[in-house]
Amino acid sequence: MKRKGIISAVSGLAAGVLVAAVFFADFNKEEKASSAADNKSKAEKVYVPYGEYDDYYMLASGGHSGQLFVYGVPSMRKIRTVPVFTPDPATGYGYDENTKKMLGGYTWGDFHHPAVSETKGDYDGEFLFANDVGNNRVAAVDLSTFHTADIMSLPNMGGPHAGVFVTENTEYIALPTRFARPLGGKYAELDKYKEEYKGVVSMAKFDRDKKKFNLAYQIMLPPWSYDLSDAGKKMSGDWIVMTTYNTEFATTNLEINASQNDRDYIVLINWKKLEGEVAKGNYKEIEGVKMVDPRDYKGAIYAIPVSKSPHGVDVTPDGKRFIAAGKLAPLMTVFSFEKAFEAIEKEDYSDEKFGIPVLPYKKVMEREVDPPGALGPLHTQFDDKGNAYNTMFISSEVVKWKVDTGEVIDRKPSYFSPGHSSAAEGDTVDPDGKWLVALNKIAKDNFLSVGPSHPESMDLFDISGEEMEHIMAAPVDPEPHYAQIVHKDKIKPKKLYEKDEKRKNAVWSKEDAHIERKGNEVHVYGVALRSKFVFDAKSDRPDAVTVNQGDRVFFHMTNIDLDQDITHGFGINDYNLNFEVQPGQTNTLEFVADQAGTFPIYCTNFCSALHQEMSGYLLVKPKE
Amino acid sequence: MKKNLSVASMISLIIAAVLIVISIFIPWWGMKFFAPQYPEGLDIIVYPTTLDGDIEVVNGLNHYIGMKEFSNQSFPELAYMPYIVISFAVLTLLVAFLRKKSFLFGLIILYVIGGIVGLLDMYRWLKKFGTELDPKAPIDLDPFVPPIIGENTIANFVTNSYFTYGGYLLGIVFILMIFPLWKDRKK
Repeated sequence: MKRKGIISAVSGLAAGVLVAAVFFADFNKEEKASSAADNKSKAEKVYVPYGEYDDYYMLASGGHSGQLFVYGVPSMRKIRTVPVFTPDPATGYGYDENTKKMLGGYTWGDFHHPAVSETKGDYDGEFLFANDVGNNRVAAVDLSTFHTADIMSLPNMGGPHAGVFVTENTEYIALPTRFARPLGGKYAELDKYKEEYKGVVSMAKFDRDKKKFNLAYQIMLPPWSYDLSDAGKKMSGDWIVMTTYNTEFATTNLEINASQNDRDYIVLINWKKLEGEVAKGNYKEIEGVKMVDPRDYKGAIYAIPVSKSPHGVDVTPDGKRFIAAGKLAPLMTVFSFEKAFEAIEKEDYSDEKFGIPVLPYKKVMEREVDPPGALGPLHTQFDDKGNAYNTMFISSEVVKWKVDTGEVIDRKPSYFSPGHSSAAEGDTVDPDGKWLVALNKIAKDNFLSVGPSHPESMDLFDISGEEMEHIMAAPVDPEPHYAQIVHKDKIKPKKLYEKDEKRKNAVWSKEDAHIERKGNEVHVYGVALRSKFVFDAKSDRPDAVTVNQGDRVFFHMTNIDLDQDITHGFGINDYNLNFEVQPGQTNTLEFVADQAGTFPIYCTNFCSALHQEMSGYLLVKPKE
Repeated sequence: MKKNLSVASMISLIIAAVLIVISIFIPWWGMKFFAPQYPEGLDIIVYPTTLDGDIEVVNGLNHYIGMKEFSNQSFPELAYMPYIVISFAVLTLLVAFLRKKSFLFGLIILYVIGGIVGLLDMYRWLKKFGTELDPKAPIDLDPFVPPIIGENTIANFVTNSYFTYGGYLLGIVFILMIFPLWKDRKK
């Protein structure tokens, strides 16, 4: 009886434990935890919920649109188009007084390589610089307003393709030329190419307070074509590296004739030394620019052979090495600054080209990396773990490899033909190793068709793991060249323009709006506020302006709505004019009222429920 | 003269006088407006000497319903408030040093009257601004009187009016004035 009781009690307990185990125990716990992380879907990785922000700004070149495209990463949502070299009616860029002057009559530019201002080799997020290959200019975009702050023309240049790259502390914004050209834009026969044509590097300075460029000096170089460049960091901080092609001095059919030499060059320039020479007065003045020939100063310029027709050259985050790849001889070469400096020290030159000492390839090179079947290596980006990422234009892929050993870790296809790529903070001293965007030149049938010309595209890769993961592709307007991915905390945009009572042409209250006549000039000191224009407070119709045909009219408008996102536009019917004033901003529109008649003026940028009513008249009295 | 307030009472009144002076530099009252397009809210902050906060933005919005513009000029009281406040502080100090109960009663009565007048004045302004709306305003709104404390809804704006630090300080001042009455009550 007693034993029976014990047995039934034990079996009862056992059954209870079993039942409990079946119903409540979770034998898959370990497995579930890891698979949940693996299964985090691609959509989740890029999903930024309402009310939250992306982690990064991607500041992407707009190519021959002349614009800057601002994307959020990882969502890949396009946030804004910022006009830089091209007029933009939507924002009035190129129509108002200041921006019209800045554009200087040009209606396009070829925006290639954005560069964010740096401090100690890291993005400081204050300004972005960009080159215009089309019309030889450099621009600065103020990242507190995302407005173009200054544009400077660069004489003696033939398309500054190999810029913009900034030195470690933005001492200089360097822009090497792509096409050789006679200095001063003079005429010279192509038969005299070698003698008369020059390659030039523009060394621009930027005053952050005045937001103004100044062309400090230019460097005269052989008539090679300069393709891309980068500035050194840390130990190599005084140096600039540039790739060349057309060391053949071909003047026609470059596709063939500039692809004959087995080696082209990387040109090393010591900007610090040249800065010193310019300071000593060692320069010639050409077209109003201080021009130095680095061959005149020992230690200022060297060349290193590189596999033929190289494109990108990128300095590693530690500043000790630089990586270049020949797009026609498909391998990446890791070069060492230390070794180069050693060869320079020992005056160990293998050759001299055009008066430039050539350092021996074998002695400066650390290793060659040649992933089988990988064709057309163009650019290198970096992560935080010592890895490099190369885009392969011809084989359409991204290759991840270890800089220290050359070991290839991973290869992933991209869709299609990636040119540049950009990793999160991937060209600073401190890359984040989170995302990489391959900027593709072709998209083929990735998106809904929009006719014969497909959009270009951008592939987003998660590079935080050992292997890269392709997350998504996004279409983009033509044509991406380069981008910089900057952490959102580094950029501090303004919400309003500060009210500045002393600002020129500004009027801060409705009562003060007035019109002044100076001969045939009419200056309107007006205000825009929700939901009206006031041009002349004392007039019966404060929102109408009467001028005589042929008058030069100035609308100095101040937006006195000091309220977030209340931008007012100002379009004049039939006059082909529109500009905008952002909250707290004063802006001037200047034109000649050559057409007589009655022209409605209206607010073009939606501002309030009564936006439609925000209007007035320009009356132009005909000449008798 | 017979002094019938204790040292403790005198100190209490001196502190009260100091707090009155301090209150000039901190806001007394405020109003915060929320709407879908202003999720972070718009502020009107009233110091005894000046208006602060998003006054220009609020004015910009108020013109839609035809409300007059807020500015320091539209509240003449703000110009002489500092004198009134300083006078009260001086008066309180006087009572503290004279240490006479009858004077203290006088001070308290004055303070209470001052407070009531102040509140009535505020109510008068709120009523004036909320009811004397421009008939030509784009948006027709029934006249309204925002409360001195509490929530109110005007069009798509939810407003919260409240007393803040300076107001609280004046409350503490009142307690400090009452304290001697308890301290020196007849045994």
